[in-house]
Amino acid sequence: MKRLQIAIESTTLANGLKVVIAPDTAAPVVTVGVYYKIGFRLEPRGRSGFAHLFEHMMFQGSANAPKMQHIKLINSSGGVLNGSTHYDVTNYYQAVPSNALERVLWLEADRMRALKVDDENLRNQRDVVKEEVRVNVLNQPYGGFPWLDLPPVAFRNWANSHNFYGDFSDLDAADLADVQAFCKTYYVPNNAVLLMLGDLKPEEGFALAKKLYADIPAGAPPPFADPAEPEQNEERRGEVEEKFGTLPAMAIGYVVPKRRTTDWCAMALLDQALHGGRAGKLYRELVLEKQVAVELDGGIEDIFGYNGPTQMVTRILHKPEYSSEQALAAFDEVIREIQENGVSEDELAQLKVKWQSDYFSLLESGHGGMPRYGLMHLLACFTLFDGEPQLVNTVLDGFLSVTRDEILAAANKYLRKEKRAIVFRRPAAAGVKEAA
Amino acid sequence: MATRAVEVNNAVPALAPERQVTWPKRQRARLSNGLEVILVESHTIPKFHGELFFRSGNAAAIDRGTGLAEMTATVVRTGTAKRASRQIEEDLRRIGADLSSSAGADTSAISFAGLSDFAEPLLGMVDELARQAAFPEAEFERERRQKLEEVKLERTQPGFLAGERLRKVLFGAHPYAQVSPSEEQVAAYKRDDLLGVYRDFYTPENALLLLVGDFQPDAMLKAAEKVFGAWQGKKPETKPSARPANPRGRRIYLVHLPGAVQTQILAGCHAITRKHPDWVKLGLTNSLYGGAFNSRLVMNIREDKGYTYSPRSGVNAFRQHGYFSVSAAVRNDVVAASLTEIFYEMDKLRSVPVPESELADAQNYLSGIFSMGLATQNGLLSQIAVVALNELPEDYLETYRQKVRALTPGDLLETARKYLDSANMQIVIVGDRVQIESQAALFGELEVFDAQGKKLS
Repeated sequence: MKRLQIAIESTTLANGLKVVIAPDTAAPVVTVGVYYKIGFRLEPRGRSGFAHLFEHMMFQGSANAPKMQHIKLINSSGGVLNGSTHYDVTNYYQAVPSNALERVLWLEADRMRALKVDDENLRNQRDVVKEEVRVNVLNQPYGGFPWLDLPPVAFRNWANSHNFYGDFSDLDAADLADVQAFCKTYYVPNNAVLLMLGDLKPEEGFALAKKLYADIPAGAPPPFADPAEPEQNEERRGEVEEKFGTLPAMAIGYVVPKRRTTDWCAMALLDQALHGGRAGKLYRELVLEKQVAVELDGGIEDIFGYNGPTQMVTRILHKPEYSSEQALAAFDEVIREIQENGVSEDELAQLKVKWQSDYFSLLESGHGGMPRYGLMHLLACFTLFDGEPQLVNTVLDGFLSVTRDEILAAANKYLRKEKRAIVFRRPAAAGVKEAA
Repeated sequence: MATRAVEVNNAVPALAPERQVTWPKRQRARLSNGLEVILVESHTIPKFHGELFFRSGNAAAIDRGTGLAEMTATVVRTGTAKRASRQIEEDLRRIGADLSSSAGADTSAISFAGLSDFAEPLLGMVDELARQAAFPEAEFERERRQKLEEVKLERTQPGFLAGERLRKVLFGAHPYAQVSPSEEQVAAYKRDDLLGVYRDFYTPENALLLLVGDFQPDAMLKAAEKVFGAWQGKKPETKPSARPANPRGRRIYLVHLPGAVQTQILAGCHAITRKHPDWVKLGLTNSLYGGAFNSRLVMNIREDKGYTYSPRSGVNAFRQHGYFSVSAAVRNDVVAASLTEIFYEMDKLRSVPVPESELADAQNYLSGIFSMGLATQNGLLSQIAVVALNELPEDYLETYRQKVRALTPGDLLETARKYLDSANMQIVIVGDRVQIESQAALFGELEVFDAQGKKLS
């Protein structure tokens, strides 16, 4: 089958900033990203939601680009921009016509060197973030389900189990001193990677990186709390009330093996077997055959983009005439079946073709009108977590060499009840009867 | 204060000379059976993306049932004369393909993406679904029951409720007023109705096949002829709908969602289709108003006042009509304050010419983001689809940026006066009436509905 070889060049500046360039002339557009190796997992205790609030603050002004100017300069250059906070990284990215490359690099350098925000900015963005939480979580049916519901049930280490969007009281407690401390600790060049993708020559990109970033002083190596979880030996269950939705829901999460191991690759294909769209065993059984579920999806989200404990999660909305236990029993039957029989040779071949095809699409996938987000994200995570951006070209091999035995073994080792957590989200509305 | 003056620092690097934007060649062809095909090369990944459009959607099926084209599309993929549902799904996975079928107001579509190595089997599957869908009774029943749960569920989403009410208000008796079926309408769907829609809509003369990706166009065209060539069928007759009345006077519609901790605002008025000569002007006016992060509305109610996370405005075009809309999910206690700013920014654009520098910024923005689609197969596909489905001029992609750059402050003032029709905006707010009713009543005659669409007062 046709392979894909992405041209990648990388270097590290004297201050520790990593620079990765992937040139490609398909369009006169460059994508520039800066990833910092800190996400909501390791944000300060007592400051839930802070990593995300801080992400907002990064758009509130820097020494030479006051509030609103960063946004104005990107948009008026013909580009789009955004940022997002993940478990273990926070990213800032923009796609612009390639004639704006230096301008974008200058803006990112300015806020890396000297963020300049005040109390008014902080109050403003605290309000904005609260509306973000309302629109995505508190005022939506199944808002935050299961990404906010499952961690407190599944994990014991605060790093993995707290409210990543933030309790409003914690958001209110955050002050400018927190912003400055967080910035000084984690937003340093030696904890970041600068990425340039698209219409540029590598030598041009490296020269600009040197010119604009080399004099940003390195910080002390940031401290990272240990996110390890104690061994789990019992099934964990929790409940959350669903305020708006009409259907009972549940999410089942199993802990995923350590990244870049053989087990991890086997688990990824197991995930494809279970969750791979309408051909996946779970959708086929619960939605198409038994017709217990109305919606079913899930998997290992952002499989390359985390650097600590994570889960493979199945999300189910089921018909109200089935009890939670009945729906769970149907789910368990699929798990039992794959633990007994694994996958057939033919099925494994299908899974690998699909996995490869999905991987190509992942590299090209965009985000908010921005092309090549997927490739940027993988390059960044492979650089920050593994020190190896070239993994983008080789990581597929591990998945394509998984055997039937390895899948069977992974099913029996990881899909165990004592290794899972379940959250039930039950509608509060009258008329929904739960037999469980 | 609405927008703050931002002084541009001298240290900001200037833009380098603009690089040429070259749109790829679109190869157009018509197969022997009348099927129109457009092929475009894009070698970014060893895959290709495609879409088989039919120029009839839910609007054309409205007399047979609300949402019937969508239901037809849903059931299309569940079985053919040759393959049962499970076989279809496994065969798609075997060639690494994704496929979906759906219908909007004006089109039905089978969308697909797959590995270039398996182009022909994927086209074969698309042809089979377009031509030999079997509508198995059991699959139809299952999908119908599924749909019943879905239509119940969507009535709990503030965004859906706002959109549904606005479309009703703006389009009245026109089919565009119907966003989604009721439970009763879904319960009344018959398999025969779906078969009728399928027979009439899914024909080569009514279709457009778009293919974008890593292939050699001549070889791909040959493959398409081989796969689709034998398919026959006429263009369906279309019945024109009466022009919807344009609502006059500002009115406000409150959809009561008990317990809501935020209010979804959505306001809109009639606008234009993509074929209209004012389309580019309105696009630029919109991007200045609320269509970009840097726009006046976002800077005002988000970055200055912190009322909302996600304010946006947009121009929504159907084939026959269009509408302009502005939305924001805001804190309950600032519903009136947000509406005031929403109208303030509209009226300001209608009253005061846009400064040259702000105009230039917006022109750069719109022409810059227009080229982003070039970078990916999917992006290219959607831009080419817009041109083809709306029958825009052949050189639309090539000349769009010039058209944007030619506009003047006078053009924008005139456009805002015409289409940012603040005096006749229809305002929908979705939230808990106890929290927001008195604020809402400040903006016009108020009607209150529940989530099921029943009028409460």
